[in-house]
Amino acid sequence: MNKPASRRHVLTSLGSALAGVLSFSAARTAKAAVQNVLVSTPAPNRYRAAEHRWLMAIDIDRCIGCGLCAEACKTENQVPVGAYFRTWIERYIIKRPEPGSVQLRGDTVVDSPNGGMNGFPPSPVPREQILKAFYVPKLCNLCEHSPCSQACPVGATFDSPDGAVLVDPHYCIGCGFCIQACPYGCRFFNPLTKTADKCSLCYHRITRGLRPACVEVCPTEARIFGDLKNPVENDPLQQFVMKNKVQTLKPHLGTEPRVLYAGMDKEVR
Amino acid sequence: MNPALTNAIVEALPHVDGYVYPNEQNLLWSTLIVVYPYVTGLVAGAFIMASLVRVFRVQALEPVYRLSLLTSFSFLLAAPLPLLFHLGHPERCLQIMMTPHVSSPMAMFGFVYAWYMMAVLLLELWFDYRHDFVIWAEKERGLKGVIYRLFTLGVHDLSEPALRLDERMGKIISIIGIPSAFLLHGYVGFIFGSIKANPWWGNVLMPIIFIFSAIVSGISLCVVVSLVVNWARRRAQDIRCLDMMGRFLFYALVADASLETLDWVHRLYAADESIYVLKSLASGKLFYTLLIGQACLGTLVPFLVLGFLQLFRRHVAPLMRQHLYALSAVLIMLGVLAMRWNVVIGGQLFSKSLRGFTTYKMELAGHEGWLMSLALLVLPFVILGFLMRFFLPVHRPDSIGQGAAVKVVA
Amino acid sequence: MRLFRMPPQIVRLVLLTVGIVTSYLIARFFLTPPSFGQYGFYRADALEEIASRQPVFAGRQSCDKNCHAKALETIAKGDHKTVSCESCHGNCHDHVEDRQVKVITHVTCTRCHEADPARSPFIKQIESKKHYSGERCTECHVPHQPSEVP
Repeated sequence: MNKPASRRHVLTSLGSALAGVLSFSAARTAKAAVQNVLVSTPAPNRYRAAEHRWLMAIDIDRCIGCGLCAEACKTENQVPVGAYFRTWIERYIIKRPEPGSVQLRGDTVVDSPNGGMNGFPPSPVPREQILKAFYVPKLCNLCEHSPCSQACPVGATFDSPDGAVLVDPHYCIGCGFCIQACPYGCRFFNPLTKTADKCSLCYHRITRGLRPACVEVCPTEARIFGDLKNPVENDPLQQFVMKNKVQTLKPHLGTEPRVLYAGMDKEVR
Repeated sequence: MNPALTNAIVEALPHVDGYVYPNEQNLLWSTLIVVYPYVTGLVAGAFIMASLVRVFRVQALEPVYRLSLLTSFSFLLAAPLPLLFHLGHPERCLQIMMTPHVSSPMAMFGFVYAWYMMAVLLLELWFDYRHDFVIWAEKERGLKGVIYRLFTLGVHDLSEPALRLDERMGKIISIIGIPSAFLLHGYVGFIFGSIKANPWWGNVLMPIIFIFSAIVSGISLCVVVSLVVNWARRRAQDIRCLDMMGRFLFYALVADASLETLDWVHRLYAADESIYVLKSLASGKLFYTLLIGQACLGTLVPFLVLGFLQLFRRHVAPLMRQHLYALSAVLIMLGVLAMRWNVVIGGQLFSKSLRGFTTYKMELAGHEGWLMSLALLVLPFVILGFLMRFFLPVHRPDSIGQGAAVKVVA
Repeated sequence: MRLFRMPPQIVRLVLLTVGIVTSYLIARFFLTPPSFGQYGFYRADALEEIASRQPVFAGRQSCDKNCHAKALETIAKGDHKTVSCESCHGNCHDHVEDRQVKVITHVTCTRCHEADPARSPFIKQIESKKHYSGERCTECHVPHQPSEVP
């Protein structure tokens, strides 16, 4: 009973193994066929992400609150009209202390009417009561340990190899978890694409050697943009860090934001 | 752009108070996301109720054993629906199982849910019902018969050893099921607790509070459902069972209330940067839902009522006790719903800049409106009613594990 | 052989489990998008897709190229050297494509130069009501050469 059974046993196992191997390659072809339905055609591009490392820095002392950056961003990236901003400007007005109170500085009033994209209306605080006031442009902080890509359940938002944090609009399921996870409020739910959306560092521009739209139209060089792997002569980013003491936003959260701010006040969050 | 126009735009936003980041003006997660943790909490809580019977052998709770399991199951079936309706691209929902991001609590929850449904709830139901399936499969004709035959999985063995195995497997699964139920709802709590960006959500107590409020709401649900079922089937209420449920409800409520109190005591004591905006939130926008709804009506009143009943049970007539249990259970269920509201909606009402508040403009109709949320809260009861027709018919005794007991065939 | 002495419930359940897990793995094999995981936990194709969007603003470089070189030279010598063409003239993309398309300048000088307490002293500011009650800023100022008079 043993010998014929074992030979039969060996033959059947070999046969099934061979079938498995053959079907695997057939499976691969089948997979490719199925995925052809799902694939999208990428544009040919000689840009190599590994050769670049982009960064933006903000010089708060130079921002004049004209709002041209926020406006240009909306145009460049077809951001829907309404409370949706990839970048915006905040105005901080620090009042003089109340007479009699033993304080050096009074309350802080912050506003950002329509993201600042049409400029700012006159200050809500009368000039005599203002101790100090300034504008702060805000954008994606390009975190090293981005909490948004950590939170994404499907891998639709990610840190690109060249320093941007991007959203894949064809893969995003629109759950909004990344929007909740961003401590800086830089993400929003795009009502047209029904996906998460955010500053992409104008990825479609920087990969063609152009500057992001906000940097392009800023009249005072308050936004400093550069490539850490390919610094130019008198590189603006290098000048920036040599000239200024810098801060980042919410460092206590451990997101390691890479966007540097010069001239930031303690009231800026 | 002339300032007059921008001023007009600014004034057209009366729902913002103070400063919020421009992207925070409109809320993202709606009442659908309030319903979802509520429903999964009921799943976990009802299962814990059932496991009190199996694992801890609380005899008095036997009459509600199957009912608790079926309740847990019907809520489990309804649980993914609010999420599905909320997604921007529900047709891409499979991606969460195909490319799950292991660092994302939301992705891993898909597997926790699948584990809980397959390996815990369905298995336990199957082992408990297998004996009945075999009998019904032989008796019933037509579609019902086919369904019952399918559910037997082809195993028609009703011998002593087989039934004893069923009993043992049921117990083992219950034992695995308790941490699984904790994991299920603790995970939902972790979805919020992992968001360090939000000081209302991102703390270590969040998963634990969610678990205990789930247990509390689940037991209350079982109280309510058993009262309703017995009333609908014109049977006498089992006061012994109710007393026992009330006791466990009280214990769970004490644990839950202590944890929530601890959360607040710690926040107020440590008083970090976010305390001012959170105090404003609790006493302002969340006054009715947090202080009145969750704390007073949802926790304090049931605590006093149930506590009173624990001490003076013998002096209270059974009918009165029944009403008081019903009252406490309903208040607790509403209180836990209010708690989910306070966490989900409350967490989005204040700005991450800690400088202001926005308003939740709740829609009536539409796929994220409150009519939809109401429908999704009612749906599990509809499913339960449907399941009970098949699995908890009137003329069958609905008690635990058939074992070698003679079945009463009506 | 020993396998089949196990209770039938267990056997059926194990088979069912194996079946479910196998179908899941097969589905995953087919339904994972191509290029997923190439650079990280995302579709590598997404990088190219995002990069292939068409830019809208033309960029300062397009203004040169034998078209406006002289104007650029003038600007580079004055206080407006940090101001890009499209800051004031708006999106010039259509104009770059077809020179006949006119560029509409939608921004006025007060957008940047109106006095504002929050405005950095880096920029010269005037209170337009008190500064001049005339028609346009260009009556006294040359935008490309702010320190000159027309």
